[in-house]
Amino acid sequence: MSNRTVIPFGPQHPVLPEPIQLKLELQDETVVSAVPHIGYVHRGIEKAAERMEYTQNVFLVERVCGICSFIHALCYCQGIEQLQNIEAPPRAKYLRVIWSELHRLHSHHLWLGLFADAFGYESLFMQFWRNREMLMDIFDKTAGSRVIISTCAIGGTRRDISDAHLQEILDTLDEVNKQLDKSIPVILNDYSVRKRTVGIGKITREQALELGAAGPVLRANGVAQDMRQLGYAAYGELGFEPVTENDGDCYARAKVRARECYQSVDLVRKAIRQLPDGEILTKPKGRPKGRVISRVEQPRGELLYFLAADGTNRLDRLRIRTPTFANVPPLVAMLPGCELADVPVIVLSIDPCISCTER
Amino acid sequence: MINNVLSNLFSKPATRNFPAKTREIAENVRGSVEFNTENCVYCGACALKCPANAIEVDRPAKKVTFDLYKCVACACCAEACRKGCIQMAKQYAHPSYRKMDVVFQGAPLLTDENGET
Repeated sequence: MSNRTVIPFGPQHPVLPEPIQLKLELQDETVVSAVPHIGYVHRGIEKAAERMEYTQNVFLVERVCGICSFIHALCYCQGIEQLQNIEAPPRAKYLRVIWSELHRLHSHHLWLGLFADAFGYESLFMQFWRNREMLMDIFDKTAGSRVIISTCAIGGTRRDISDAHLQEILDTLDEVNKQLDKSIPVILNDYSVRKRTVGIGKITREQALELGAAGPVLRANGVAQDMRQLGYAAYGELGFEPVTENDGDCYARAKVRARECYQSVDLVRKAIRQLPDGEILTKPKGRPKGRVISRVEQPRGELLYFLAADGTNRLDRLRIRTPTFANVPPLVAMLPGCELADVPVIVLSIDPCISCTER
Repeated sequence: MINNVLSNLFSKPATRNFPAKTREIAENVRGSVEFNTENCVYCGACALKCPANAIEVDRPAKKVTFDLYKCVACACCAEACRKGCIQMAKQYAHPSYRKMDVVFQGAPLLTDENGET
């Protein structure tokens, strides 16, 4: 005898930072299946990119995502640089790593806070967000803006970081590291947090690979795949190794991101130590022509830009595939069999960025 | 965790006492665009570079129209201006009840030695 009900979860829900709707089919309190619906915040950025000049698009693609704006601009600029056959100067490459890793760090802080909020741990949420404020202040000082930092340009960066600011970044990172040492153990060791995350929303390694999971969702299943291994910008010179865990549940995904926070701190420190002197911008010549796929690692996973240009000052096509889009099928595979109360935790565990997904 | 609780209990609030104490604005912040049309030659470089189409330059009428609420404060116009007419102010654009344009009109058009503008 069946007493199944369908509950719409979202698009407006207290735990969801952004609008996604999941139609949950329930057998009593257990989820039987989930159907995702997206399309609430579509902004037509891909089409807008065809109307604007390719140099102006840098500022457009930054607005795909407010949390990792620099990384979107970086992916776009690297694609255009490939098409125009130019290379950014070494100093610009290191500056790109510094800003990318700071973005990853603040995104992971944001996520760790939201994750804590998903199982009702509001004080921990505030701890992480207070620490994140230190990182936002770095952006304000070095780039001139807190969120959309607009420092990446085709051929390098638009701004340099002065020695005084580099020292300030190092001091802030010491403080961030100290605060992480206090807050991360709560996420990883606290009894009630473990009760809500260990073994919840589990997928197998095969499922993750088959469904095309990206980023920490994939790495939590023991697959060491990270676009930074490609060695774009200056990552090739910094001895980067991806962080992996093996359990494939919410706890493993939290652990991957927690460890990546420390890794980002280390990468920024290393990049500042090795930062070469010199130019920050190579002047691009000519116009882009051809087709290219550009890939970088966003805090949520692999970001892919497909660019097609025909030698005019406008692009033929810009296709953006964001990691959350790749992580929706794994999310749908995680949900069946879980309790209704665990749905917020599982949805948050993929770090959904719906604005990214819908562009 | 108990150390964290105690230190938070006895430390100052993490927030600012806002209207009384405002946030310090960073040195080279891209706050809002400021025009100084005295030297402007109405070449339109700023309007060409603007990704948000916030600037319109009407050369015959010697008129610059700036839509403050389309502006994304990217500082492209300030970089493009060769006459140094555009600066990024160290303050953010103020909120307003109406969306209005800032219009500059009538500044002298400078000419070079050949008499060309």
